[in-house]
Amino acid sequence: MWVPLRYWRSGEMSAHNLSLDGLEVLARQNEPGTRVTSGPSAAVGLQGKRYTANSVTKSFDGAAVLSEVSITFEPGEIHTIVGENGAGKSTLVKIMAGIYQPDSGELLLGQDRLAGLTPRSAQHRGIYLVPQEPALMASLSITENLFVGILRRGRLRFNVDWASMKREASAHLARVGLDIDPECRAEELSVAQQQLVECARALVHRCAVIYFDEPTSPLTAKEAGTLFDVMGSLRSDGYTLGFISHRLDEVLAISDRVTVLRDGAKVLSAPRSEVDKAALVKAMIGRELITRERVRPHFDAAGRKEMLAVEGLTSAPSFEEVSFSVRAGEIVGLAGLVGSGRTEIAETIFGLRRTDRGTVRVEGRLLEHRAPRICIDAGLVYLPEDRGRHGIFAEVEVERNVTAGVIPRLERFGPLLKPSAERVMAQQATEKTAVRMASLDTLMKALSGGNQQRAMLSRWLLAGPRVAIFDEPTRGVDVGAKDDIYRLVAQLADEGLALVLISSELNELTITCDRVLAMYEGQVVGELSGAEIADASLGALVVGGHLK
Amino acid sequence: MTTLPTPPASAAPAQAAGPVVSRAGPGSVALNLLLNVLRRREVQLVLAILGLFALCTALHPQFGVASNIAFILADSVTIMIVAVGQTIVVLGRGIDLSVSPVLGMAAVSAGFLAADNNLNIWLALLLVLAIGTGLGVGSGFLVSVVGIPPIIATLATLTIYGGWQFIICGGMSVINIPAVYTNFGAANLLPGVPWLVVIGAGVVSVAYLFLKKTVTGRSVYAVGNNADAAFRAGIPVRRILFTTYVISGFLAGLAGLIYLCQIGSATSTSGSDGNTNLMSIAATLIGGTTLLGGRGGPVGSALGAVFLSEALQAMISFRINEIWDPAGVGLLILIAVVADRKGVPVRQLFRQPFRQPAGATR
Repeated sequence: MWVPLRYWRSGEMSAHNLSLDGLEVLARQNEPGTRVTSGPSAAVGLQGKRYTANSVTKSFDGAAVLSEVSITFEPGEIHTIVGENGAGKSTLVKIMAGIYQPDSGELLLGQDRLAGLTPRSAQHRGIYLVPQEPALMASLSITENLFVGILRRGRLRFNVDWASMKREASAHLARVGLDIDPECRAEELSVAQQQLVECARALVHRCAVIYFDEPTSPLTAKEAGTLFDVMGSLRSDGYTLGFISHRLDEVLAISDRVTVLRDGAKVLSAPRSEVDKAALVKAMIGRELITRERVRPHFDAAGRKEMLAVEGLTSAPSFEEVSFSVRAGEIVGLAGLVGSGRTEIAETIFGLRRTDRGTVRVEGRLLEHRAPRICIDAGLVYLPEDRGRHGIFAEVEVERNVTAGVIPRLERFGPLLKPSAERVMAQQATEKTAVRMASLDTLMKALSGGNQQRAMLSRWLLAGPRVAIFDEPTRGVDVGAKDDIYRLVAQLADEGLALVLISSELNELTITCDRVLAMYEGQVVGELSGAEIADASLGALVVGGHLK
Repeated sequence: MTTLPTPPASAAPAQAAGPVVSRAGPGSVALNLLLNVLRRREVQLVLAILGLFALCTALHPQFGVASNIAFILADSVTIMIVAVGQTIVVLGRGIDLSVSPVLGMAAVSAGFLAADNNLNIWLALLLVLAIGTGLGVGSGFLVSVVGIPPIIATLATLTIYGGWQFIICGGMSVINIPAVYTNFGAANLLPGVPWLVVIGAGVVSVAYLFLKKTVTGRSVYAVGNNADAAFRAGIPVRRILFTTYVISGFLAGLAGLIYLCQIGSATSTSGSDGNTNLMSIAATLIGGTTLLGGRGGPVGSALGAVFLSEALQAMISFRINEIWDPAGVGLLILIAVVADRKGVPVRQLFRQPFRQPAGATR
């Protein structure tokens, strides 16, 4: 119960502050001579301003995420930012919305230079970020969600003026095309509706500069259409709109201007009329796709034993009708953006998600009711994408982290495990992956990301797999560990392991894989093998483009 | 490709950080070793127990006599055994609030049968173990199969079992226990070494071996530390969680018989009158097991129980009214928790214990 209480208190305070510096200042600047009245009519009259970032640079822990990016958002325009995962799109809009502070560079709203922007002061200035995942308070009503932070006082000064807020809430909801009772709770709404409520919240907070951070990724095409209608009507009312997406079709459909970020730098910024899909794809993935030597020559697996066979696997709505097979000694990549269904496929194979249809065979044996234990015993292992949440036992020694997958197989004396045998196993496994640690008794949390990942790899190798799925094996590891992991992957394949490699980094796939399946929106949209992998068509496929 | 901005772990310098890395010359190795030993909660507790003992003996020479030491140890055994079960549950990131009525149910059931039908003490042992196990199955079922957060599930069983204890008693108390029970409660294996202390030490040893050396015990740490990762590593998470509550019930039942032998009576408030819940959790926390799960062990909890017993005895010898006992225990919990910098994760306890992924069959 303390959550709503806290917001109530801050709400009363901010209602007070807002009347002084936020709302009226904004209103005066925007509508000279017009007296602001509460109610939707005033909101409609809001005018967006030009909002500019000049040479903004940002790095996290020494890794540059944005370098010298300048961008201008004009009122009455939808300005879209596109780019691959990790290109810096979200970071840029988060800086513009005051969530991150830039390391250098300046932000200009109209003529005003904004320094030390916070999410709160950004909102007072009329800048609002609709987050990727709606962040509503599930058990509160829509009205409360809309007015959080600016709850209106009633006549008695200590009470809340529900009636007027409800009236205004209804009007704003209608404005974003939502026909729902403002009294219903946020958790009763679909994701798409919650997104629209976020949008209405921007209106309630009288924000005329609104950013949408990949709002469409959780939405169906129809739901996205509704959102675009709302964005279009806000545009014609003169709002300043920023939009992030990697679905190029929708980008081209609704944008007035498109900016492409690659590796934290602006590589293209042009009016919609001057770009087409091919130009965007080219700008997004760049020319120099191959920056490294392959770690292993292409391997022709024809005639080798089929180790993993996936047939028509479906788990709606994440992915549908996915079929592929992996032979001994072969490395098959699953390429795709976040949300394209790669991880979901792996999790379904490993029995962590519901299977609607389709079969999974390991060495020809059908695995019917899959669960991690069954898969591990059948010789199939899965290295998860999110190491911290799904992989490590942070407070446990490295040794026991490594042997966790095989505890039932450890040598025993009566019911008791033989410590020496376990130690020898852990020793050998960590030597193979070159885990650097003080000793096997070191707690897992004391290891660096790269060494934690090596320890996780040794856990799964210890299980004696014949098929391994590695999901983003180099995420969050240092450069040296990356190289080691690539070499290990190559070595394992040479030893006859069938490998599935999932990665958002296309480079990673081009230097390791013998075949790559490209995923887009839950479908396998293409398969490349041999030298084909290295050209730019893979990059085009994963963003919904076509084979050249 | 740039690295993603969000996981800061990526850029953390690759350092193999051991416990305390020696910075000075080789001369400080011994010092570092000592510091590492002193960091262990078990060592700290032994020092605290000895320190308090020395202090009390210096002020009241009577405190240090052998019979008082034996009394302190014997007095701690009930809580010690319950705390070992509690520790196993807490290691799995749970909590068992139902131990006091389980202890009480065991004590009154065995007590009535012993007083009215002269129940053989070995049969009484079987009876209390069966009762404890059965009641533990109830709590374990609610947590691991139904999926109710542990603090709520065991709050429910606390109330239900407490009600049953009341019904069984029907307003009566067990008083005339056969002498064989009370004699056992006071018997010594060797001069100055009570049988109860030997049993307590035996339970702690078995629990230690169970947790460190068996497949199930080892899995408890993994589940408590990261249930999702444990499931993905092929560990049967729900079965492990279930087992922890069954063990806790089993041990609370055993403690019920010991309570009966020691006190020589049982009533509808047995178990709850001695604050078994609070004391077992206190011993567990003081012993260095965190409510976050996955860290700690039964030896610390046993020492915690001894320390609590000693502290209460010290309060008696300083003539502090026993109405202050709970306040003293509370203070010790606070000290233990503050010493453990992670604090108490209250929200964790209200979270669902483990949500098996929808598609998983096991």
